[in-house]
Amino acid sequence: MAYNVLIVDDSATMRALIRKVLVISGFDIGEYFEGANGREALGILEQNWVDIILSDVHMPEMDGATLVKNLKQHEMWRHIPVVLITTESRPEVINPFLNLGVHDYIQKPFRPETIKKKLTGILGEAITPDASETESCDF
Amino acid sequence: MLAKLKAVTFEVLETMYYLFPETLEEGEVVPARGPFLRSWVTIAGPQSLRIGLQVPQSLARKMAANFLGTDEAGISKPEMEDILKETTNMMAGAFLSKMEASGAFKLQTPEAQWLTDAEKSKKSPANRLRFDVDDELMELFVEKG
Repeated sequence: MAYNVLIVDDSATMRALIRKVLVISGFDIGEYFEGANGREALGILEQNWVDIILSDVHMPEMDGATLVKNLKQHEMWRHIPVVLITTESRPEVINPFLNLGVHDYIQKPFRPETIKKKLTGILGEAITPDASETESCDF
Repeated sequence: MLAKLKAVTFEVLETMYYLFPETLEEGEVVPARGPFLRSWVTIAGPQSLRIGLQVPQSLARKMAANFLGTDEAGISKPEMEDILKETTNMMAGAFLSKMEASGAFKLQTPEAQWLTDAEKSKKSPANRLRFDVDDELMELFVEKG
């Protein structure tokens, strides 16, 4: 099953990297969307169906926390899983987001197999042992 | 502290770029020609720190091409800056996550600056480690923020 993915990050370079890593990981991407901040992400959601959101924390105009708060207040969007892509794993940084309803986080630097495992886990698919072993590849 | 920083630097370079740095000993030289790109992140807190990387443009280009999976010839200067800033940001984040009692510290936005050979010599930080990365020079530095 292919999933529509929305990546929200103010760095075009980071968005390109996340997309590349997703492709390498073998995660089944349907449509791919990207926004440079929370406001752009909400605009994309108005027009498109998205299965999972990968979001940065610090962004201009609308940061990750405000984006999540907006999602949780919206009938259609409140159940879309959000995964933070962050440089930090300290509880004082992560816990406020988990309390807001973020599903999980991925700390940079990350490997393709890590991102696939997290996303498929969240979206309710099992990973076969063979797939996770064979897709440990270069990028 | 430099040992912890070195460990996270190696982790970031190996994971994100598949680059395997080797520490240069005192007196060992890797030829490097400017311009140089320097990027740093301030860890603000009771004793603020600035940690960063400095590389020649040739290595910055190589890292960006590797990171983005594109040809080196198509890499722009802003892309090199973006990549090195992202790298220092990842290093600082990983470093802070490994520090005890890190609650009082906060990561600032990464910055980058191009330096000529002369500027690099003048502004060379005292507290630094040097690495050979694919026959190119990389310098890791830490200074008071």
